[in-house]
Amino acid sequence: MNQTDQGTLVDPVCGMTVDLAEAEAEGLVLDLDGTTYAFCGRGCMLEFRDDPARFVDPQHRPSM
Amino acid sequence: MTDQSIRIVNLPVEGMTCASCVNRITRFLDRVDGVEEANVNLATDSATIRFDPSRTDVAALVSAVEAAGYLAVPPAEPSAETGAGATGATATTDRVESTNSERHLADLRRRLAVAGVLTVPLLLGLARMTVAPFLPAFLADPWLQLLLATPVQIYAAAPFYRGAFNALRHRTTDMNTLVAVGTSAAYGYSVAAILAPGFFAVAGRTANAAPPLYFDTAATIVTLILLGRFLEARARSHTSDAIRRLIDLAPRTARIVRDGAELDLPIGDVVAGDIVLVRAAERIPVDGVVLSGRSAVDESMVTGESMPVTKAADDGVIGGTLNGTGSFTFRATRVGADTVLARIVRLVQEAQGSRAPIQRLADAVTGIFVPFVIVVAAITFIVWFVAGPAPAFNLALLNTIAVLIIACPCALGLATPTSIIVGTGKGAEQGILFRNAESLERLRSVTAVVLDKTGTLTEGKPTVTDVVVGSAAGGLTDEALLRLAAAVERGSEHPLGEAIVRRVHEAGIELPAATDFNASAGDGVEALVEGLTVRVGRAGFVGVAVEAALLGQAERLAAFGRTVMFVAVNGRPVGLIAVADTLKPGSAAAVAELHRLGLSVAMLTGDDERTAGAIAAEAGIERVLADVRPAEKAARIRALRAEGAVVAMVGDGVNDAPALATADVGIAMGNGTDIAIEAAGVTLLRGDLGGLVTAIALSRATMRNIRQNLFWAFAYNVALIPLAAGALYPFTGWLLDPIFAAGAMALSSVTVVSNALRLRGFRSPAAPSMPPSTFREEYSR
Repeated sequence: MNQTDQGTLVDPVCGMTVDLAEAEAEGLVLDLDGTTYAFCGRGCMLEFRDDPARFVDPQHRPSM
Repeated sequence: MTDQSIRIVNLPVEGMTCASCVNRITRFLDRVDGVEEANVNLATDSATIRFDPSRTDVAALVSAVEAAGYLAVPPAEPSAETGAGATGATATTDRVESTNSERHLADLRRRLAVAGVLTVPLLLGLARMTVAPFLPAFLADPWLQLLLATPVQIYAAAPFYRGAFNALRHRTTDMNTLVAVGTSAAYGYSVAAILAPGFFAVAGRTANAAPPLYFDTAATIVTLILLGRFLEARARSHTSDAIRRLIDLAPRTARIVRDGAELDLPIGDVVAGDIVLVRAAERIPVDGVVLSGRSAVDESMVTGESMPVTKAADDGVIGGTLNGTGSFTFRATRVGADTVLARIVRLVQEAQGSRAPIQRLADAVTGIFVPFVIVVAAITFIVWFVAGPAPAFNLALLNTIAVLIIACPCALGLATPTSIIVGTGKGAEQGILFRNAESLERLRSVTAVVLDKTGTLTEGKPTVTDVVVGSAAGGLTDEALLRLAAAVERGSEHPLGEAIVRRVHEAGIELPAATDFNASAGDGVEALVEGLTVRVGRAGFVGVAVEAALLGQAERLAAFGRTVMFVAVNGRPVGLIAVADTLKPGSAAAVAELHRLGLSVAMLTGDDERTAGAIAAEAGIERVLADVRPAEKAARIRALRAEGAVVAMVGDGVNDAPALATADVGIAMGNGTDIAIEAAGVTLLRGDLGGLVTAIALSRATMRNIRQNLFWAFAYNVALIPLAAGALYPFTGWLLDPIFAAGAMALSSVTVVSNALRLRGFRSPAAPSMPPSTFREEYSR
């Protein structure tokens, strides 16, 4: 979704930059409709799972 | 709300990673019926919840946290405080936390005492068998030794076993593993040797044929390592002195006037709007605005202002500061956790609990180091057992234990946190608030500093210096022009607009009403005044073709560092107003210091080139970024970073937030309002640039200290591994007794903590602090 350089992704819930390899190692990566999302922690992943539409919406601003 | 039965509980919460987690958990907790307030703290991994015990209980709270997806540990002894503490939730949480850490410290002390007391006779027994045969024989009795060593191994060493087991559950190893394995080997072997001595028949160290025992080794190792941990915990509680001192600034009671009567209330019961009485030499309890009376207040503990500040009606006062000889009453505006003091404390606590990037490096190193050591230990054992001289098994065991213990990087876990704690505490003393350890670390590598002009470099209190009416204005006087402009700018929060309004007030001119107010960010403002459309702002905004004469005047004024605003009536530019904002007294000196530190300095402003250039020259700044609209600030920072600079941006936070967030380190000036604190990595409480110099110097000193610690944590331990493994034995016959290995380990812990405490002697290189100006004025609103 928001791919920055060097194998990192932006957590769609809180906006933190997450190292993709680390996230994968900890099981904090989700695939939804063909897009890969990585999360900073379980909390953000759970938030996303509870209501993905809200965070996938392009109007949404990731913030803490 | 005076419900006597509100309970407060502090629950450790595991699994939080970012502020989203905090929001999620808070939401789930708020939904529980009976919860008054849930305060979740990311940095301390805990949640503090106020709840009504008749409607809910701790178990329900724990379930709520688990439903959110996290783990909560119900506390053993829930605290049952009624009402908030001295600084609101902060002090309560802190008291609960300090109780936890006090309990931890007491627990360590107990175990250390037990281990120590039992180890002494064991060591005497060792002495009896080796150097002091005149000591009573019973000391060397195996069964006595077993009796002494067992409580040490089972009770005193229990934390190591717990830690090793936890690590194992996560399929890793850590220093607890090393200690647990090493001491268990020594103890276990000794027990086996007592029960089946024939099996281990060896020449032994002494004349008698019984196999030597290593109870003393195991016990001494446990004692020494516990000592290291105890010292660490004690150092941790000492380095929070800075916080404790801040918290203690707030008094326990306040004298309130309610319904005509004077009451002494506990400070937790004061609410916003209360009228508070302060007498001579008392500490001001909460934040507020003076109603009547007059006095001078010593605000140095919060602002650094060494001269007492006069307070009269409408002046702001800060909770925790010390009143002088007068007395006064004030209306409380912020109480409990909202006071400036409470916010500062919270910020420092969070910073002290945060992880620095360099620590992750240290953790990663530990992650590979420990398995590596276990491998080396295994090799040591095999080599000695197979190829070593008699007694092969004993020597193999001894050396393996020595390797396991000497390589224990216990001090590594200490190296970074202790320095961070001392560094952030030191910063707080000087009015520098680091939001987290990462900011403290990053500040050191900054190469370029960008300074916002208004409010940072300058006082932020511009005054009108010139009013010029154009020839097309048809008889409009200076006064009339000002009056119209002020009417539009009334209520404006922009410093330039405020300057105009202030000038009109000072002249005693009445402001006409303005309607249909419209602002175009960074360009100007417009309103309808007495039937006229009046615009105030940049040349472009104000209207077509400003006459040449006016433009010429504008240029001339700009060359003197004035900011020029044009005024137009009904679409026709009629004149200009020039405003000057003086440089803060310490600015030029601070810029010079920044240059001396090897940094490049740039000024960022919405002013035009000419004006900006004049001011920059006065301050000694070599690079000017002028004509920057507020919305463009962040982009300019990004551009600078793209050039390769590590950028620190200093701003007053209110409209600089995006730029501050974009910089490598965002630094906010002033009184620590919400926006500033949230967006910035560092807040300079005292509002003067000298603080920036101090902050950078402190960051460099702290990182240097951390690197030193990391070195000491490793150095002699690693250097001694070959010795412990017996590599020198074939040449010199040197072996490392595990007892000395444990000693070296404790020594490295002590070295690291002592070195970190050295940081307390840090002195700022900047000139003695200039009287901070913006802080006080912010509170006079």
